[in-house]
Amino acid sequence: MTTRTAWRQALVVLVKEFVDSCRDRRALVSLVLTVLIGPVITGFMMNRMADRQRAAEEVRIPVAGVQYAPALVEWLRQQSGVEVVAAPDNPEQAVRDQDEYVVAIIPKDFAERFRASKPATVKLVADSARADTFPQVNRVRRLFEQYGAQIGSLRLVGRGVSPAVATPLQVQEVEVSTTQQRAARLLAVIPLMILLSAFTGAMQIATDATAGERERGSLEALLVNPVPRSALAIGKCLAAAAAAMIAVTVTASLCAALLRFIPMQEMGMRFRFGVPHFAGMMAAVLPMCLVTAAMQSAVATLARSFKEAQSYMGILILAPMLVGVLGTLYPIDNQPWMYGVPMLGQYVLLTNVLGGRAPAVLAFVAAALSCVIVAAFFIRLTVALFRDERIVFGR
Amino acid sequence: MIDVVKLEKRFGSVTAVSDVSFTAGDGRVTGLLGPNGAGKTTTLRMLYGVMRPDRGSITVDGVDTSAKPLAAQARVGVLPDVYGLYPRLTAREHIRYFGELHGMSRAALAERTEELFELLDMQHIADRRAAGYSHGERTKVALARALVHRPQNVLLDEPTNGLDVMSTRAVREIVRRLRADGRCVLFSSHVMQEVSALCDSIVVVAGGRVVAQGTPDELRTQGGHDDLEDAFVALAGAANGGAQR
Repeated sequence: MTTRTAWRQALVVLVKEFVDSCRDRRALVSLVLTVLIGPVITGFMMNRMADRQRAAEEVRIPVAGVQYAPALVEWLRQQSGVEVVAAPDNPEQAVRDQDEYVVAIIPKDFAERFRASKPATVKLVADSARADTFPQVNRVRRLFEQYGAQIGSLRLVGRGVSPAVATPLQVQEVEVSTTQQRAARLLAVIPLMILLSAFTGAMQIATDATAGERERGSLEALLVNPVPRSALAIGKCLAAAAAAMIAVTVTASLCAALLRFIPMQEMGMRFRFGVPHFAGMMAAVLPMCLVTAAMQSAVATLARSFKEAQSYMGILILAPMLVGVLGTLYPIDNQPWMYGVPMLGQYVLLTNVLGGRAPAVLAFVAAALSCVIVAAFFIRLTVALFRDERIVFGR
Repeated sequence: MIDVVKLEKRFGSVTAVSDVSFTAGDGRVTGLLGPNGAGKTTTLRMLYGVMRPDRGSITVDGVDTSAKPLAAQARVGVLPDVYGLYPRLTAREHIRYFGELHGMSRAALAERTEELFELLDMQHIADRRAAGYSHGERTKVALARALVHRPQNVLLDEPTNGLDVMSTRAVREIVRRLRADGRCVLFSSHVMQEVSALCDSIVVVAGGRVVAQGTPDELRTQGGHDDLEDAFVALAGAANGGAQR
């Protein structure tokens, strides 16, 4: 039996497993849903975010007691994108009921204290538990602060003091991250979604072709054929890998579409996403599909039943989530060793590609190489398990 | 031709097969007869290369199964205990899958598939998925799959188990044709009538060892009964009594 024959047999197994799993309607539907749901939800959330940003630029401020501070209200009206409206009768209740996101209350003694150069109060009624109106409330607060600062400066000038005296400290923030990087941090879910789809995509074939095949009793009939166990295991692993690659490509394409249609400019981000970025993402993550497919196949072969295999899949999928969560908690600084760890390496590469910092070709090669090595280990393990009578005939 | 010498197989502390030797010749139907749990399926599994014997040797057409397992497997066609059809594949695809794994060319495979459909009278299920098959239809597909590469040796594990009269007849007809064709047919059964109706020689196994072998006539003499079933009960019972001591 030559190697060439064995590879041809592996290909036969690959094609059969692929066709077989494509006909599994229910599994296919659930796969499509799991692949779609991430990008769709992210897109929805981004759109909302952009909407809110837009809303913050055009604020409607309900003000109670307009008559006590006509100058202030007039100034507010003159600011761009600001509309002053009458406040509801019970401001606190209105905010609590989410009828209004904020209400400004100008008390009766405002004018009196203002004229006396005492701090005059403006009450802002807001609900800090509401995350969605946060940018708007923030804008309103800054408007009032701005007015206060202006009046303060004028008063100092009127008394012959330079306003600079009253500003002993000026905090100046110097932003070092590029806008693209900031956008990438916001879009940190995208690498995670792509890594996850490498798992979900391979799962169906990895379990059905191993634990499922044994549970249906078709494994014995298959093993009767003059096919080396290695060819069987490789064919099955590669079929799972092919499915994972398709899932990853679909997810990445959806994310790419997402990045094109979300109004990033309105979120204050300049974000470019073109063909080179997409190619970079693919180059980073495709080798990873070998790892997920081979790892899942090995674990599923080891499981005693199809059910058990499926529950192990649920545990395995925590791995990319862990990487993703750690990645957002501890923003990853690029250490060269990271490229040698499958999953982590892909995560770093994806984040960098999205951040507009093209990683070195060597980094891609190193990450791919480590994937191939780890995948080879798991494929060997699967082959060894397929050779084990206790595994083949159940325990 | 299949030659089995002193086969032994243990699972942990359980000895499933302890001493099985026999020869199944070409152009003959050999029956492996024994009660449930006698070691028939384990013996067959070693013959078709999915289990390795702990001791003893098997040669298929002179090819040693432990030295050249794949070459030996290429010379056998197997109808296993559990067919294990793929519910989402059609009969044609089942046959094609195994034919391709045997390295058959596309043309040869297409020709052989039509031939098998004809032989087993299964054109009507050729392109239907296996999910809805009757037991008889499943047996036909499994048989066709086993015979796709024209194996010289055919191993059938309880082939008529649970089949209706029509399907049983069809299977017997196939077995007779294979014999007429000069093939070596070995099949296991616990049904006496089955074996006596078909077999040229019978190997009686009980408790993991061969307790008697020969033609049906020879067995009647050995068992001391004119009725083959009585002879079988006498032979198998004696062995079981010995094993349970």
